[in-house]
Amino acid sequence: MTVIVPLRPVRRWIHQRQVSHRERAATLGNLYVAALLIAVVGAMTHEQLAKIFWPSRPDLGALPALALSLLGAGFLLRTMRAVGPVTLGRPAAYFLLTAPVSRRRLLLPSLRLAALAAASVAALIATAIAGHAAPHALAGPLIAAGTLLGAGLLLVAVVAQRVRVWATVTDRLATLVAAAGLILLVVDNLAIGDPPAIDGWPSRSALLSVVLALAVAVGAGTALVVRDLARTPDDRILEAAKTTGTIFDTAFGMEPSFVTDMVARRYWTSRRLTSARPPARLPVLTGQDFLMVRRRLPRLLWLLAATPIPLLLTAAPPWAAALAVLAGAMIAGGTTTRTVNTDAGNPVLLRLLAISSRQALLQRLWIPGALAFAWSLIALLLMQLAGDLPAGPWPLLSVPVGVVGGLAAVRRARAGFVRNDLLPLDTPMGTVSTGPLVYAFAGPDALILGIPALIAISQGTALTWTLLLFQTALALIGARAYLAGTTDPERVELQS
Amino acid sequence: MADHPAVEVSDLSVSYGSVPVLAGVALTVPAGTGVCVTGENGIGKSTLLRCVSGLQRPDDGRIRVFGANPGSSPEFWAAVVTTVEPPTWYPGLTTREHAELICRAHGQDPDEAGVDEALDRFGLTGHADAIPPSLSSGQKQRLTLALALIRPSSLLILDEPEQRLDPEGRASVAAMLVDYLAGGGSLLMASHDDKFSVASGAELTTMESLVP
Repeated sequence: MTVIVPLRPVRRWIHQRQVSHRERAATLGNLYVAALLIAVVGAMTHEQLAKIFWPSRPDLGALPALALSLLGAGFLLRTMRAVGPVTLGRPAAYFLLTAPVSRRRLLLPSLRLAALAAASVAALIATAIAGHAAPHALAGPLIAAGTLLGAGLLLVAVVAQRVRVWATVTDRLATLVAAAGLILLVVDNLAIGDPPAIDGWPSRSALLSVVLALAVAVGAGTALVVRDLARTPDDRILEAAKTTGTIFDTAFGMEPSFVTDMVARRYWTSRRLTSARPPARLPVLTGQDFLMVRRRLPRLLWLLAATPIPLLLTAAPPWAAALAVLAGAMIAGGTTTRTVNTDAGNPVLLRLLAISSRQALLQRLWIPGALAFAWSLIALLLMQLAGDLPAGPWPLLSVPVGVVGGLAAVRRARAGFVRNDLLPLDTPMGTVSTGPLVYAFAGPDALILGIPALIAISQGTALTWTLLLFQTALALIGARAYLAGTTDPERVELQS
Repeated sequence: MADHPAVEVSDLSVSYGSVPVLAGVALTVPAGTGVCVTGENGIGKSTLLRCVSGLQRPDDGRIRVFGANPGSSPEFWAAVVTTVEPPTWYPGLTTREHAELICRAHGQDPDEAGVDEALDRFGLTGHADAIPPSLSSGQKQRLTLALALIRPSSLLILDEPEQRLDPEGRASVAAMLVDYLAGGGSLLMASHDDKFSVASGAELTTMESLVP
């Protein structure tokens, strides 16, 4: 007969050992830096935060408010599903998951933390939406309802983690909810333009009744979920532990490639592939990227769904929409650049292919450039259709934007790992490592070649042929200079 | 190219910090022949192969591959294939597509180059549509060797090619190396398996014997 070992003394013992190895001064120093950072960032951004979360009077219609709620709920649910949400630290997953301890007690802290995080994020989203769309007198119950809905979504995610059938349904539902929100936003922006509604809201007491009902439902759901928590299968907990472990590695090591590698590995492991041949006319590496595009249909659909983002940002400061066009082009171009990332990190296959770095990069630029072109073309067409762009051959601007976006995506993929050997900067808030900063800008810095396009979209004046030609020439010269400056026809290695 | 030995090494010295790994090593691999270097772990076999491949700069000494300095040029890598470093597989590309990519990059038609036959000989036919990271370590080693042998080359530099292979796989690879040598190729490898090395047609030599 198995004897269940009490978990609390084990955890207390582990905690005491960990604390004894930790420097108290270092912990206090970290707390000081964190508190100072929050204070400084808060002081610097409190006016902008007030505008985002609590404008002086409602300025959002009911339809866009509903759309943003759906978007928020969809993304929150997807995020919780991606993380776990019930998870363990890697050491606990190794040592305690296999120990004869109460499974429910082992997983409860993780559930509490996830509930706190979900409720907090939902409360923030609800505050922003209620602040923009509802009379401020009603904001309290609306925020409470949003917080409870966040906790409810967590319960859905926990059940989906435990029951495989529900996992697929929940993921699809979350995607559908987010997509519906996006469509509603676009429809409102293009056709309806729903004005802010001060009247027509339910009374405060009615809203409080809804909150009460929600609280009862969430409470009952929590009891059921906690009761069955021990039935969460080991493989799901281990998978979640790997995910959160990788996220923590990324956060502490300031190395985003850990997460991107994990996501890519999981994506390709879950796919069933059939060998295919690219069109023989394409250069060999372009052909390989072509195959990759065909296999990344979900990402292409997400990218397509994201094309209205610049249009939706036309209400924001003018540069925001312009920047979104360039950034979106870069992200679209990044669909196939894992191959560049592979070659930049380990040139073994390039040596086997015996292709010069210049040839390789030139061949690898075509598909990212084409994707960036297509994405920016759709985004610009949508903006022109909505009347947010003045006269001019705007769709043609997608040609140079495609070149710039493709180039930025390839440059980003060649960045490799974060360099932690660069000189740190001493600031009043502590030492700032420059390696992650340099890494963060490797790629987006190439978007500087798109400044004429950025100015053209931001200014709101007609696009002239002169500006279009200048932007095209700049993009092509920039791409040519990048190729000539960072590759060599006598070298196969692709390091940047 | 044929006028020169495939590999000529003289007075090669490499140290890791204050620890000398190679000191005054000399080695010649005549074109069209095979040499297998044997020796215990840590004696410097892989370091020697890395230096010959141009992947590590020696502290001192002279290395010639077909009469020229080993380099990182496309011409060098068109002639030389090495498995000294493990590959990182392209994401989203199947086992067969990796093989076809190598063929196409060298101007070969994948069908005429014998991709199907190569996968069959290495026991990978059933895994042609799998992505390489999903293969076992032995299957990955087979794929690495299949990719090395399917493309045209003049010199193979293999670091313990028998590693992680089952006995049948070892015999199969040894037979392919014999064919490679018979076709005029040259071979430099390091191994811990004397039986495999002899079966592959390579002349055995110890690291100790390379120091005059």
